[in-house]
Amino acid sequence: MTVLILTSEEDVTADMVVLRLRQAGVPVVRLDPADLTNGVALSGEFVHGACRGHLSAGGRLVSMSGLRSVWVRRPGEAASRAAQPSAWLTEESAQALYGMLRSTGARWMNHPDAARRARHKPWQLRLAQDSGLAVPATLITTFPQAAREFAERFPDLVVKPVSGAHPQEPPRAVPTSRVPPDADFAAVAFGPTLLQRRIPKRADIRLTVVGDRLLAARKPADPDGHPDDVDVRFAPSVSPWLPADVPPRVAEAVHRYMRDAELAYGAFDFAEDTDGIWWFLECNQSGQFGFVEMDTGQPIAAAIARWLAGDGEPAVPDAGDDRDAAS
Amino acid sequence: MQPFTLNYARPAVQLDVATPYAYDSGLQLNVLPDGRIAATDHATLRALGTTTSTAGSKTHFDD
Repeated sequence: MTVLILTSEEDVTADMVVLRLRQAGVPVVRLDPADLTNGVALSGEFVHGACRGHLSAGGRLVSMSGLRSVWVRRPGEAASRAAQPSAWLTEESAQALYGMLRSTGARWMNHPDAARRARHKPWQLRLAQDSGLAVPATLITTFPQAAREFAERFPDLVVKPVSGAHPQEPPRAVPTSRVPPDADFAAVAFGPTLLQRRIPKRADIRLTVVGDRLLAARKPADPDGHPDDVDVRFAPSVSPWLPADVPPRVAEAVHRYMRDAELAYGAFDFAEDTDGIWWFLECNQSGQFGFVEMDTGQPIAAAIARWLAGDGEPAVPDAGDDRDAAS
Repeated sequence: MQPFTLNYARPAVQLDVATPYAYDSGLQLNVLPDGRIAATDHATLRALGTTTSTAGSKTHFDD
């Protein structure tokens, strides 16, 4: 039984998992849907009440019925690197590939339906509340007056994109940013705006969840840091990520969140306040984990490999021989 | 007419250096010129930030 990994060739984080699976002797087929019809091929037939299908990539052929799991990591748009790409061909290819994969008994990390739903931040905030996590007061609005009134109730606010996406042409990043007290909210009318009470934090928390396993990492905030340095991705770093214990109540709530979201993998971001409370910020259903593993030594790649391999298969070691050469 | 949120946008960080590894379809892994597997070279990965949560990257929608 084979693990299918859908991701781009340059995804070196996925390599960390491929390596663990290889060391455990678990068959892997890795492909990028972008290469469909140009290096990746598929076929499926539905005849006499049965369906059979095959995928081919890099000289490997795998039966759809031989898939034990599918890891949707960083796949490109289907057939986007075809000889004559088009929106129509992308839709055709995506329907064929994902439709066939949905027909298998393989388990997913994460299922496309769950992944699509889990990307919606408003839905995340509501599920976090329902799960029992602490959620900072948040407003998403296109009403400037609602924004002004929210700022009166919660004078110290941050703003961040609703989707987590960043504008292109030209490429720009929109970090979580502190809103100045004299902000003019008139432009809220021109796009949904997410305003959230700023949590004065003593640390950032990245909690990576793989199946039932919780792996938490903590990055202490600079006690002398400027309060405008809100976004850990852009703030000066004073410490590496360090392994952390998960408070039992948070662990219970996170398990509820994962169950109700139907996710097998999630990367949660929390802000830890001065009282030690973990405030939910978001859960990225395909969040990066390589930087956490390299700082903390936590076996995240091995945990993913183990989940993909499933029970009763060759044991996946937490740490393999990292001197492994390509020869 | 710019949305309020974009008042806080900044130029995205662009990786100016080419990655020193290449994909080996036989291994299904990225390999360094000396034959080592790139994922085992943490120093290189740290220098390139290729495993990092990086806002603004086209390839890191879910960070």
